[in-house]
Amino acid sequence: MEEKNITSQESMAIISEMIERSKHHRYLGDGNILLLWGYTAVVVAGLVWLLLAVTHHPAMNWFWFLIWIIGGTATPIMARKRRDKSGVTTYTDNICNALWSIVGYSAIALTFLCLGFLLAAGKDSWSAMLMLPLLIVGIAEIMQGVVMRERSLIWGGAIGALCGLFTLCCIAGGVALVARWFMPMFIIAFAAMMIVPGHVLNAKSRREK
Amino acid sequence: MKELDPLLHSQLRLAVMSILMNVEEADFVFLREKTQSTAGNLSVQPDKLSTAGYIDVQKGFVGKKTRTTCHVTEKGRAAFEQYVQDIKALLNL
Repeated sequence: MEEKNITSQESMAIISEMIERSKHHRYLGDGNILLLWGYTAVVVAGLVWLLLAVTHHPAMNWFWFLIWIIGGTATPIMARKRRDKSGVTTYTDNICNALWSIVGYSAIALTFLCLGFLLAAGKDSWSAMLMLPLLIVGIAEIMQGVVMRERSLIWGGAIGALCGLFTLCCIAGGVALVARWFMPMFIIAFAAMMIVPGHVLNAKSRREK
Repeated sequence: MKELDPLLHSQLRLAVMSILMNVEEADFVFLREKTQSTAGNLSVQPDKLSTAGYIDVQKGFVGKKTRTTCHVTEKGRAAFEQYVQDIKALLNL
């Protein structure tokens, strides 16, 4: 393509062709951020489960924060690399970024609320922190799946959100979140929400390469 | 008969504007790949569109390499929409 004058018909053809070319794009490693969060959540849940089983000390639950620390630190770096590599930011990217920012800020707000409950009233409300990653992350992922038209995200998010709603009902109904059943559920939910869609997205981008 | 915007009525500039209308922002490499043009032919187009106020051009660095990103302005969006209307009128669409 070069700088030259064109006819009206050629103009319409160029516009259509450029819209088509820039409409759809996948890049190698699109699922890497999902995989980071998924594997981190699964490994940390396994670690907490093991430590609780060995020590029986509730302080081991502080290790849950490793998920946010690792994910929260690595995600901006990976997102920046992905953007620099792709060379483009689309409206879909902006919507997805906003969605995950909402999830991140919700997690920060809930952490401070739980800390506030503990320090001000001596009430243990940390079980809400176990519900949040399942419910809010699940819902955000369904929405991302709808925007990206990616079924694995919609189904994975739905499984996560369902587990989140179940956890919410348990908390509201006073049912204790026991590690024996909660940990496997948490691990399965994160595998469905993050690991499976992450690999699906990477496989699709590899095929399109 | 209404005259078409001469800035947009050029193969390469129209291609660049069509892409930028469809994304939030794009860098020079992405534009070059999608328009299948040479760096030499493409390099002058962002400046022309930027001078007219149709796009914003930002130059930065990724590591040691320079990176030029462009995004369409409100003026550029309006000009492009007007251009499409004018073309449609010309073609009786």
